[in-house]
Amino acid sequence: MRSNSRTTAAFIAPAFIFFTLFIIVPTASSVYYSFTSWDGINPYIRFVGLANFKEIFTSARFGNALKNTVLITIFISALENALALGLALLVDNVSRARNFFRAIFYVPVILSGIVSGFIWKIMFNYNFGPINQALQSLGLSALKRDWLGSPAFALASVGVVLIWKGAGYYMVIYLASLQGVPQEVVEASTIDGASSLQRFLRITLPLISGAFTINFTLSLINGLKVFDQVAVMTDGGPGFATETIVYLLYKVGFSEGRQGFGTAVGLVLLFIIMILNWIQQKFLKSREVQL
Amino acid sequence: MKKFKISSFVILFATAILAAAFLVPIYFAVISALKSNGEILKNPLSLPTGLYLKNFTDLFSKTDFLTAIWHTVFLTGVSEVLIVFIVPLAAYGISRHPGTVTKLVYTYFLCGMMIPFHLYMFPLFKELKLFGLFGTLAGPVVVYISGSVAFGCLLYTSFLNSVPYDMEEAARIDGCSEFQVFWKVVFPLLGPCTASMVVLNGLGIWNDFLMPYLVLPSNKAKTINVAVYSFVGQYTARWDIVFAGAVIALVPALALYVALQKHFVKGIMAGAAKG
Repeated sequence: MRSNSRTTAAFIAPAFIFFTLFIIVPTASSVYYSFTSWDGINPYIRFVGLANFKEIFTSARFGNALKNTVLITIFISALENALALGLALLVDNVSRARNFFRAIFYVPVILSGIVSGFIWKIMFNYNFGPINQALQSLGLSALKRDWLGSPAFALASVGVVLIWKGAGYYMVIYLASLQGVPQEVVEASTIDGASSLQRFLRITLPLISGAFTINFTLSLINGLKVFDQVAVMTDGGPGFATETIVYLLYKVGFSEGRQGFGTAVGLVLLFIIMILNWIQQKFLKSREVQL
Repeated sequence: MKKFKISSFVILFATAILAAAFLVPIYFAVISALKSNGEILKNPLSLPTGLYLKNFTDLFSKTDFLTAIWHTVFLTGVSEVLIVFIVPLAAYGISRHPGTVTKLVYTYFLCGMMIPFHLYMFPLFKELKLFGLFGTLAGPVVVYISGSVAFGCLLYTSFLNSVPYDMEEAARIDGCSEFQVFWKVVFPLLGPCTASMVVLNGLGIWNDFLMPYLVLPSNKAKTINVAVYSFVGQYTARWDIVFAGAVIALVPALALYVALQKHFVKGIMAGAAKG
C-alpha cells in the first residue's frame, strides 16, 4: 500500500504545486498586503493596519463603485434570467429548427468581452452609431442619446451588452432543465383542466427551480466580475459612472500605484462572493422542488 | 386544431425575430470589416458595395497582428495540452485513493473556485517576476493551468467516481505500471470530460484579456484581444481596421463552435454543475 500512496502523491503533485504556487500563495499574500500601503513596485512595504478597510467603508468612490456593482449585478441577473427563460420557452416550443435557434442565441456567448464591447461601443456611438442612425431614420431623433457618454445612460448601456452576451448561456441551462420536465405530469395537469398559464406557474416553474438557482447564482457572480466591457467601452467613465468594484480595484492598483488598497478591495469582493454562495446553498437550494 | 397552428406560427415568428435581433451586432461587425471607414460612417447597416479587403491587408502590414495571433494560438494550445494532462492525473489520484488526505486535497482545490482573479493578481505578478515568468509567454500559461485545477478536478473526479475499477485491475495484472494504467486505460475513457474541459478552458483562454494585457511585455504585440483593445484607443479614426481585427478574433471561436456545438452544450452543463 505504501508505494500506492507514493504514486497517488506523484499524480496529484503537479496540479497541487501549480494551484498552491499561483492561486493560494498570491491569495494568502493578498491578505497580508491588504494591511499595507504597498505600491506594487517599492520593495519597502509599510504596515498600515486596518487603514485600507477603513478607507473602503468611508470613501465616496468605493460607495459609488459598490452602488454601480449592485445595480449592474442585480438588474443584469434579473433581466438576463427573464430573457433567458423566455428564449428557452420559445426554443422549447418552436415547431422547427430548434437546434438552429438554440445555436443562434448562444453565439454572443463565445465572443470575447473585448470584441463584444468594441462592437457595441461603435453601435452606441453618438454621431455614427447604427442605433442613433436607425432612430433618426425612423423619425425618432428625440430618442437619440449619447449612450456611453452620459452618466445617466452609460451603466444601463453596458448592461445591455452584458445581457445580450450572457442570455444564451443561461438559456441553454433552462432549456436542458425544461426538457427534463416529465411529459406525463404536464399531460395529467392538462387533463385536470389546468390552463397553460397555470401549467407554467404550477408545474414547469417549480420543476425547473434547480436551473433557476444555478443561473441566478452564476449570473450574480459573473455580474460582480464584469471587467472587459467596461475597459473597452467606458474605462469606468464618464466620471465614475460605470466604475464597478473590480474596475476600481484595477484602477487603484495599476494607474494609481495603490496595490495594498487594491488587495483590500479584492478581499471585500471575495467576501461578497462567499455570501452569495452561502445564500445559494442555504435558501435557494432548499426551495427547489424534486420529483 | 386551427388555434394550435396559429400559436405555433406566432412562436416561430417571435423566435425568428429575436434570433435576427441577436445577430445584428455580429452582422454589423462582419460587414464593417469589409467596408472603408467612410462607408461605415455613412451607412452603418448596409451591405458593403464591393469586396473590400484593404482593412485586412492594412491590419497585417501596419500592425504586428500576426504576432498577436501567434501568441493567442500558443497560449491556448500549450495551456490546453498541459491542462488535460495535469488535471485528470490529479483527479485520478484523488478518486482512486479515497482517504482523509485525498479528501482534504480535494476540498482544498474546490476552495479555489470562489477566489476571483482580481483578488490575487497584484501579488501574483510580483511572484511571476520573482520566478522570471513575468513578460514571457510561460507566465500566463502557468496561471491558466493553476486556474483550471479547481473546476477541472471537480469535473474529472465526479466522472471518475462512476467509472468501475475492473479494467484498471486487469491492466495491472497484465503488468502495466501505475502511470500506464492511467495513460493507456483511464485517460481514453475520459474523452467526454476532456472535450468539455478543452472547450471551456479554450474559449476562456482565447478570449482572455486582462492577464496577457498585464503580463506580456509591453512594447510588443500581445494577443488578439489585447490588440483589439489597444487599437480602440490608437485607431480612433480607423474603425474599419479594428473591425477587421475583431472579426479575426471571433471567426475561429465561431467556427469551432459550429463544429463542436455538442461539446459546448455539454461544457455549459458541466460548468453549471459547479454552481
